[in-house]
Amino acid sequence: MPKTAVTRITHSCHLIEIGGKTFLTDPWFSTRPGYYQGEPIALAVADLPKLDGVLISHEHYDHCDLQAFAAYRDRSVPLFVAETVVPLARKHGFTNVTALAPWQQAELGGVTITATPAKHGVYEVTFVLRAGSDAVYFAGDTMLIPELSEIPKRLGHISLALLPTNGLHIRPANNMQVVMNADEAAELTAVLKPELAVPHHYAFTKGFLGDRLITDSDKNPLRFQDATHDLAPETSVRIVNPGTRIEL
Amino acid sequence: MTTATHTVDLAGIGSIEVSVAEYGPGSGQPFLLLHGGAGPQSVTGFAEKFADAHQVRVLAPTHPGFGGTARPEALSSIADLAALYQALLDRLDLNDVTVIGNSIGGWITAEIALLASPRVSGIVLIDAVGIEVPGHPVADFFSLTMDQVFQLSFHDPAPFRIDPSTLPPAAQAVAAGNRAAIAAYAGASMTDPALAKRLGTLEIPTLVLWGESDGIVDLNYGRAYAKAIPMARFQVLTDTGHSPQLETPGQVVHAIWDSAETDFSAFVH
Repeated sequence: MPKTAVTRITHSCHLIEIGGKTFLTDPWFSTRPGYYQGEPIALAVADLPKLDGVLISHEHYDHCDLQAFAAYRDRSVPLFVAETVVPLARKHGFTNVTALAPWQQAELGGVTITATPAKHGVYEVTFVLRAGSDAVYFAGDTMLIPELSEIPKRLGHISLALLPTNGLHIRPANNMQVVMNADEAAELTAVLKPELAVPHHYAFTKGFLGDRLITDSDKNPLRFQDATHDLAPETSVRIVNPGTRIEL
Repeated sequence: MTTATHTVDLAGIGSIEVSVAEYGPGSGQPFLLLHGGAGPQSVTGFAEKFADAHQVRVLAPTHPGFGGTARPEALSSIADLAALYQALLDRLDLNDVTVIGNSIGGWITAEIALLASPRVSGIVLIDAVGIEVPGHPVADFFSLTMDQVFQLSFHDPAPFRIDPSTLPPAAQAVAAGNRAAIAAYAGASMTDPALAKRLGTLEIPTLVLWGESDGIVDLNYGRAYAKAIPMARFQVLTDTGHSPQLETPGQVVHAIWDSAETDFSAFVH
């Protein structure tokens, strides 16, 4: 059985190897005014390995940079996406696009892809990839919602969880929270009970002024590590620099 | 403070020399500070104060033609200056730059934002000109006496008022050069009828600061400027006229640095 492994590229963009297949999550390969990874982009689009599938949680630019990802060598690569991403994907020339609503599934070469619930500023889904006894949960930038506690009941044991932790608030929208914070991510970890949890989506910055005027977020992933130590002590937390491959 | 002259090549215009005064540590958070028609000396005190207060890096170029510098004839619009400064940021390889501009410098700042370079992460418009607002015209600078300009430019003009006729000939020549540069870049109206609509496409974090006593472009003009830019935050500066960085620099530093703590709802209406 091939090893399950994850390579963080940047932000919520990862390469997930599971069941001998390689998936890309939430592609983000460029920058725009007011949108910065806050950490390196470990791989350029041209340097990506052959992908068997791509997961896209929602249409926000920092999760769905299809303008840059359209340079990928094969636009017939299967995309599994939130339904709101479908028109954007087709517009950028991707021909094999499948919308998955929460709890809908697709199969790809022995890997089961299940969309799971999410809540964000716009419609979003999260995903579980399963091959045999290994399962990876990928959450782009959801809030913690009760429906997520259904995941282990419906889909079984999760081995590895990739979770946002920055508790992003939007200041002009009455300081509305749109992403789970470190404590909430640790709560979800306690529900999912994975062997390994990897935080992401914490280095993001809107720049000097944007972080003051538009967004408010926690850029310290150690808070998630500490909170998980308290709430889910059986789970190991790895804070992973972009470009580092970790195996289950 | 150090000053360096950079040579920047601009397509269609050629090689341009631009003098840039730099304040604060080279490793500091970068700010590009653009002066208005009052000339480069109108931002030097603020640049020093801001750099000293927060150990930030402030780059303050002299727009070619101002301060006794040469202006290539082909460099003749606000958009040209925006292209010049974007090329300068590329040359200096600066990232997460906040561009701050006063008056005409604010208009240049707005045009830089429209170029959408990822190097520029935010803009601060301070009593900027450039848009047309029905019923709130930009004061007709070229028809005003200098005394009237001082009267309209400051909440309290007394500390700033000078008699231009008492200036030495060299300073009078610089002032005449500044005036010619304003005319060349901004025209007599100091507006672009299409600018306000174009600003509606911006997605960049924007802070609009306005002196409550500004007689060159009034408070409602400022509100219209902020309204033209999606998500822009508007803040009034008290006891302040058209050149806040000269008259109340502490308020400007506070407004920018501590903007996360500001309750903007009080300034919108």
